[in-house]
Amino acid sequence: MIELRNLTKKFGSFAAVNDISLTVPSGQFFGFLGPNGAGKTTTIKMMTGLYAPTAGQCFINGFDIQKQPYHAKLQFGYVPDQPYLYERLSGREFLYFVGGLFNMSSDDVRKKVEALLDMFEIGAFVDKRAEEYSQGMRQRIVLTAALLHDPKVLIIDEPIVGLDPRSARLVKDTLKAKTLEGLTVFMSTHLLEIVEELCDRIAIIKDGRIIHEELQNEQKRFNGQLEAMFLELTK
Amino acid sequence: MRELLLILNLKAHGFLKSVFTPTWQGLFKNLSSVAIFGGFAVGVFFISKASTLYLLQEAHIGQFLFHRFLSMLLYVFFVTVNLGNMIVCYATLYRSQEVSFLMAMPVTHAKIFLIKFVDNFFYSSTTLSLVGIAMLLGYGSCFNFPWYHYVATIFLVLLPFMLIAGIVAVMVLMLLIKISARIGIRWLLGIIVTLYLSIIYVYFKVTNPIELVNEVMKHYPDVNEYFGYLDPPFVRYLPNHWVTEYFYWSINGDPTRAIANVSLLFFTMLGLIVVAAIVGRRYYYESWLAASDALVMRGPGRKSIRFRLFEFGRKSFLRPQNDAVVKRDLWLFLREPSQWLHLVLMVVLILIFLISMTSLELRLSQPLLQAVSFLVVFLFNGFLIASIALRFVFPSVSLEGDTFWVVRTSPYRLNDLYWQKFRFSFLPLLLVSEFLSIASIGMMRRDPQLIVLAAVSTGFVAAALTSMNLGAGTYFAVFKEKNPIRVASSQGASVTFLISMVYLTVVVIILIVPLNNYFERLMRFGDQPFSWILFPAVGVGVVSLLCVAISTGLGLKFIHRDY
Repeated sequence: MIELRNLTKKFGSFAAVNDISLTVPSGQFFGFLGPNGAGKTTTIKMMTGLYAPTAGQCFINGFDIQKQPYHAKLQFGYVPDQPYLYERLSGREFLYFVGGLFNMSSDDVRKKVEALLDMFEIGAFVDKRAEEYSQGMRQRIVLTAALLHDPKVLIIDEPIVGLDPRSARLVKDTLKAKTLEGLTVFMSTHLLEIVEELCDRIAIIKDGRIIHEELQNEQKRFNGQLEAMFLELTK
Repeated sequence: MRELLLILNLKAHGFLKSVFTPTWQGLFKNLSSVAIFGGFAVGVFFISKASTLYLLQEAHIGQFLFHRFLSMLLYVFFVTVNLGNMIVCYATLYRSQEVSFLMAMPVTHAKIFLIKFVDNFFYSSTTLSLVGIAMLLGYGSCFNFPWYHYVATIFLVLLPFMLIAGIVAVMVLMLLIKISARIGIRWLLGIIVTLYLSIIYVYFKVTNPIELVNEVMKHYPDVNEYFGYLDPPFVRYLPNHWVTEYFYWSINGDPTRAIANVSLLFFTMLGLIVVAAIVGRRYYYESWLAASDALVMRGPGRKSIRFRLFEFGRKSFLRPQNDAVVKRDLWLFLREPSQWLHLVLMVVLILIFLISMTSLELRLSQPLLQAVSFLVVFLFNGFLIASIALRFVFPSVSLEGDTFWVVRTSPYRLNDLYWQKFRFSFLPLLLVSEFLSIASIGMMRRDPQLIVLAAVSTGFVAAALTSMNLGAGTYFAVFKEKNPIRVASSQGASVTFLISMVYLTVVVIILIVPLNNYFERLMRFGDQPFSWILFPAVGVGVVSLLCVAISTGLGLKFIHRDY
């Protein structure tokens, strides 16, 4: 479960995120939408501890990210919008490194990596150095790293950017399956068709404020009106 | 021409914007930089003036010999500017994203080359220009140069001299990159190191300063005469020789010869600019492609260095988080050629220093001279440690770079990361500095108490310099810069190095009087009271621990800032 309470981030006098409150229950696939510069990435950076909020709190499975960062960070996996890797480490070494940071033993990491190799089809390149990877390969390695410690929450910033259709399908199927297993997903994206296909609930942010929240209708995918609604609300 | 001016204008705007940041923090940073660079320049000015006056008026070495020493100093200066430009050049001309962007624009390769060369020259030569100008002012003040003499010397002598070094650097690099496509990067780096060590060795072998002093001193007291016939023929073709000839004839009232040497320097610079423009137009794009290909092709089939003990996935006695960070730092270091190449260079420097120590005779009769000789060796050790710390410790937080998100979003505490970096830097630095200190002071004097003083003080100095570089490296972190050499030559790094020099000066001030008293007592009464060594060591300890506390506080605060 994710809970944002009156979260605010100011850069000087400019409020990038202005007093937003949200609750995402366990097992829900949550889509966070908004135009460029609306405050999506800033919100995610506060949720993951990359930014300190100017005001407000963020709880991940009940742990305050600022006051209990160790416990809060054990709860989630994070996939950033730009999947930067250590260029001179191989994908496998990167995965071992991330596993170590999450206090996993090398045996546990080995077993987990072997299981995830097939799921994300990374076996062909996992032993090459990251400097040789394409954007899609990087994205898949980062997604594998995010799931390595079996997180309860997955926070994703633009997951499909740079992926070829096959990889995109792979990622979408994996996320869908993981949600069914009880994983909470908080996903920021511009791609409305992905939201329509995957999300249970959405929120639209504009100028740092949440201007709209909506629950997915099981029969009609947001009543087929998501694009029109988004364009109307964000104009 | 229009797009060239547009790009240069944009770069100038970007630079001015970064310098004149309208925030209190920006203002504080700029004022600190001005104060520290200014203080450093004033220090260089006084050292230059005092050493010129001492050599000419106290040691009476004569103007000819003085200018030959100056020529040797300028040779080292030339090689330093040249190497500095070459190292930074690779990042600026071949690895920069800006070049990739410009290559896709309708801008000619010659213009891109010119823009990046100017960028590179200013970036890598600013601090050395400051040193050069301060030295010139100190030297000129001994001969009452009028103001226009300084202006003319800066623009017609110093600038061309440094530009020649920079242009030669970029042309040599271009040639080496073309060769590297055939022989591989590791061989290429080996060739560069050997080439530069040979250049320095051959120069000093041929100019032979000891023989030169002996030959000139045979004519004492007529040492002000011009002994040009003692110069080996090849030095007459070197820019450092032209600069010193210009100075020599300027102060000896022969403007014709002075102007002849300036002309030689100036026209060589102009000639080299033309050659560089032609070479750049013809070969820059080709060498850029070769560098890009070399980066892509070194992947498959490459033989990586492997130490099974440190491989990821092997069991370790460290807890998983520390084990992961140590292995990551180790592999990233070993797989970055610029890192270990510089380490090898530093080791060579240390060995040269130790070998020179074996041939020094410093058992002097004056207590003050004994104290000074001890401190000179101690200070040189400190200077070496400060250089190593600046090069390897300062960039360590910046090198987290774009990938810092991995650690920042993991449950690894940032304070733990900071201390891990401290341990990872401090232990090797302590070992190197203790080895240097005990070996050099031990070779100089076999006095156990002095060795203890040197060992204890060096331990404190190593801790202080590690903390200062790590703390300041965190405060001035440049996460967007991937090249550790550029991080270690940034404005923040220069400020840190100058602060390190101030700290070492304070340590020397603490040590000099007690050491003088110690040697005086030793000479008069033959006893060596331990307390006389203990108190200055405690003094060094207190100052160093204060530096550790302040720097660590700063580092621990700023490692948590928004990323």
